[in-house]
Parts: sequence; structure tokens; C-alpha cells
Amino acid sequence: MRDTSKPVPFLNAARSVFDLTLEGMVWSRRSLLMAILLALPVLFAVLYRAVLVAKVPPEVTPFDFYGYIVALYYVRNVLPLAALFYASALIADEVEGKTITYLLTRPILRASILVGKFAAYMVATLTLILPTLVVTYFLLMTARGLTGIGATVPDLFKDMGVASLSLLVYGAFFALLGVLLKRPVIPGVLFLYVWELVANLPGYLPRFTLTVYLRSLISHRPAQEGISGLFGEVLPAALCFEVLGALVAVFLGLTLWIFSRREFVLEQ
Amino acid sequence: MTRSRLVVLASSLVVGLGSLAAMGALYLDPARAAVGPLPSEALALPADTTFVMGFDVKRLVQSEFYQRFGKEKGGLARPEAFAELEEKTGLNPERDVDQVVVAGKGDAAKGPGEAGIVIVSGRFDQYKIGRAIETDKKGSVTWKKHEGVTEYLFNEGKKGAGALAFIDDDTLVMGSQAAVEAVITARVQGQPRLKANAGLTALLERVKPGSTFWMVGDQSLLAKLPTEMPAPGSGPATGGSIQLPALQSLVVTGDLDPALSVEAIGEARDEAAAKNLADIVRGFLALAQLQAGQKPELKELTSAVSVATDTNKVRVSARFSYQLLASLHPKRTATTPPPPNAR
Repeated sequence: MRDTSKPVPFLNAARSVFDLTLEGMVWSRRSLLMAILLALPVLFAVLYRAVLVAKVPPEVTPFDFYGYIVALYYVRNVLPLAALFYASALIADEVEGKTITYLLTRPILRASILVGKFAAYMVATLTLILPTLVVTYFLLMTARGLTGIGATVPDLFKDMGVASLSLLVYGAFFALLGVLLKRPVIPGVLFLYVWELVANLPGYLPRFTLTVYLRSLISHRPAQEGISGLFGEVLPAALCFEVLGALVAVFLGLTLWIFSRREFVLEQ
Repeated sequence: MTRSRLVVLASSLVVGLGSLAAMGALYLDPARAAVGPLPSEALALPADTTFVMGFDVKRLVQSEFYQRFGKEKGGLARPEAFAELEEKTGLNPERDVDQVVVAGKGDAAKGPGEAGIVIVSGRFDQYKIGRAIETDKKGSVTWKKHEGVTEYLFNEGKKGAGALAFIDDDTLVMGSQAAVEAVITARVQGQPRLKANAGLTALLERVKPGSTFWMVGDQSLLAKLPTEMPAPGSGPATGGSIQLPALQSLVVTGDLDPALSVEAIGEARDEAAAKNLADIVRGFLALAQLQAGQKPELKELTSAVSVATDTNKVRVSARFSYQLLASLHPKRTATTPPPPNAR
């Protein structure tokens, strides 16, 4: 018999929140939108195999296309957007739906709520994103036969790792926005499509963005027009891991700290 | 099992099967993973290689640099020679060659085994090239099989004998007989020997991906470089020289679009040595700037070069616009204008 004077053990509570959140997250309109976005590279890969492979000059390899998709579509756009849509809503949705009361009045630690929700966010987004990345890779890389595929395999694993890291770091940042702001989506979009462009400037300013560390970790460097093509800086991998690790710790720590202390006043 | 867990399970299965297939491809595909900008074939290079450099021929040919300067008289491109080569061998270097890698031990004087080896990746008509070698070099060329690979030997048994072989459909190896045979053996046996040279592979990993040209050299190569040079203004009568701090490693990368940019990162013994070397480079740049009164282009040229130190590393970056290069090259004959899509 559980001692009702004490809160539910942390892991049990986090697991319950995880199950509840995962069910709501996977079967949601957000996931439908993400599934559409994530189906695009797969559709392109199918189109490439069916039609384009015969028309593209041989010097443009399928790996070039795969590199473009990973660097420009996934790392720069889809992964941050997925993080924005899901992570910023972890707490904000409960507040907006006025269901936060039901969570906060349970005998569970607030930290376990956030940990459970963040774990569900990571599992849900990885569930959606990693299979499409793998399927796109194989559809493209086998379009001209299996020769040379072995040489590109490390890049697939590296890309999967960087995709997971992107979801973690952007997720931590947007989760923080979610507990700080009532409507975090607009600031989040501004962050992604205004502030993150600083990564293409010369000097030290790019180091204040997240994307510069993430794009330094992948091997694909698609040629870009304009200023970004001129100054695209590649930072050492060790520095990237250190900075991203520190940022995840800071963002999640702040999120936990704010969520544990904040008083949520619901609009009537 | 809930619906969401079913989705997670299905997704995990796809990722798991994909990862297994990828691991299988990595294990079974003889073209093992490459290191940095090196193609996988180049991993068969000897482990005691001290320098490796490479050119991305596709990028070079498409660059504005090549369009502007390569096609002029005396430039890189030789239309007549290329046409003749294509007629004989079916090989048009501008169209068919993707990448050239040159590696060596940095001491050709010690014997042919120490000389460089060249690995060319591209698309080759092996039959036509083989016929051209056999007919053109009659008498001086012999051929034999080594590990099942046909090897053409030039001046076999004589000093400076060379060899050429196709280690696969897309890769040509040239160099001394011993070096080519060593590469063939390593390739056939699937030994990525170069990976055993941890120092050099670490340097290769630092090459900026997508560079048009690059070069890495380790300590054993750099130790052979001169350690002093004449001081500016000194002559045989006055004497005087500058001691150059020894470098532990050197990584050079460069691009040709949209301008000619080169970055060299040298690793010195310690921070003081790095600062010393940076000061020497800055000194030479300052001297060049003093000449700017006589030749104004020099001022622009020197201001396009920057020198910085980061602990024990010296970073020299240069970025030259094509207008600047053209101004330094006044006797250039009329050339083909760059294509509109040249970046």
C-alpha cells in the first residue's frame, strides 16, 4: 500500500505522464502535418528513382541529393519546426486547454511531469523523423546500384545522430519558451527564420545560434548562394558537442526550475 | 498495446532494419568508408604516408577561375592536348575525371618507393586506355597481373620505373611499381591501411568538406622543410637569416568559387612558436605592403591575407577576387567568357 502522504515515486509518475502524452502526441493534427512534411523527401526520392535518375548528369550523384535533403531540409527546417510545434506545446497546450490543473493537483512532482512530457516529445518526434531519413537514404543511394554505398553509411549514422541531437537541443529551447511565454510559436518562428540566419554572417556572431553547431556536425555542405555560401563556418566537432550539451543542460534546467515554481492562473 | 506504442514499434523496426542493412553494406561493400575528403579507394595508401593532397576536378572545371585563367594560353586547360588524349584513350579530363589524390612520403630522393602515388577517380574506358598504352609506348611498356589486376609497367627493371593500374572501374593508380602494387594488394584484401596512420587521418578529418583543393602534411614531412630563411634585405655579404619555428602539422584547404580562397592552418610546437611564426608571416605581408607604392595591386593582395593565432595554431587565410587576380595578370590574352551559370 502506497504512503499517500508522499508523492508518487518520480519514475512511476514520469512514466505515466509519458504514456499519456505519447498517445496524445502521436495521434494529433500536429503529427499529421509533420507526416506530410516528412513524406516530401521520401516522395522526392521515389520520383528520383522513377524519373530523374535517367535525366540527371552522372556527376550529380544521389549522395549529393541526399546531402541537400539532410542539410537544407531536415537540419535547417523540418527538425527545428518539429521541435517548435511539439516542445513549445508541452506545457502551453495544457494551460490553453485548462487541463494543467488536473496534472498539478495529482500527488506527483512537477519535475516528473516535465521529464515525462519531454521524453514523450523525443520518442514521438524520433518515431516520425528517423524512418523517413533512413527510407530516403536507401531510396536515393540504391538508385544507381549498390556500388559505393558502404562509403556513405557512416554519414547515415552521423545524420541520424545529428537529427536526434537537433530535436534534443531545439526541443529543450522551445520547451523553455513554452513555460516562459503564453504564445511561444511566433517568437519561435522568429528565432528560427530571423535569428538563426545570423549563422551565415562572418565573425563570432554565428556562435550565438544553434544551427551553426548542428550543421558543423554533418558532412554535407551543399553550395549556397550569397552570403551564406561565403561565410558558412564549420566549427570543430568537440566544441559543437560541448556547447550543445551545455545548452541542453541549461535550457532543460531552466525549464524545470521555472515550471516547478510557476503559478499557473487559468483564464476563466 | 496502445496505438501509439504500435507506431513507435513500427518506426523502430524500420530504423532497426535500415541500420542493419547499412551495417551490412558497410561490411560487405569493398569501398569502405572514406576519411575526410579522401575517396574510399585512397584508404589503400600506405600507412607511412606523410602527405596527401587532392583536387576536386569537377569543381575546378566548373569554377570561374578555370574559365578565366585555365583556358588561356599556357593555362591549365590544353584544348588540343585534351582532344588528342580523348581521341586516343576516350578520356576527356575535364569531363571524365572527378578527383585526383596525390600522396607520398615526402622524400623522393630516397628511392622510387618513397616517391608520390597518384589516385585518379572518374569514368574511364579501360579497354581504350589499355590499347593506347600498349600501342603508344611499344617497347618500353610491359604488363602483368598483380592480385588479379592488370598492371602496366613503364621501363620495368630500370631506375625510375613506373606503373599504372585500374584498381576498379572508376579508379586509376599511378606511381612507382612497388607503390602501385602495394595499393593493389591493400585494395584487393580490403585493408584500409591509411587508417592505421591515426595522425594523418585526424588531419584529413579536419579538411573542410567540399573544398576544391586541399593538402595535409604531418610532422615527419614538415621536419624535412628548411628551418631558416634569409632575412629580408640580407644578402651574401650581410648574411642574416630568420629561424622558422617547426610545424607539427599543416592543413591547407581552398575554394575557387566565388573567389579564390585559401586557408592554411599550421600547428606549432607551442603557443610561443605559433606567435613567432605568425609574426614572421605578418612581417612579410608588411614588407609587401611597403612595395604597394610601386605596384598598387600588391596592397590589395596583402590586405586580402589575414593571419591569426589560436593557442598553438597559426591560421593564414586569403581571399582573392578574380578582378584582383586579373589586375595582377595584365598580359592575359582574350579568353572564353565565363558561362552565365558559373558561380
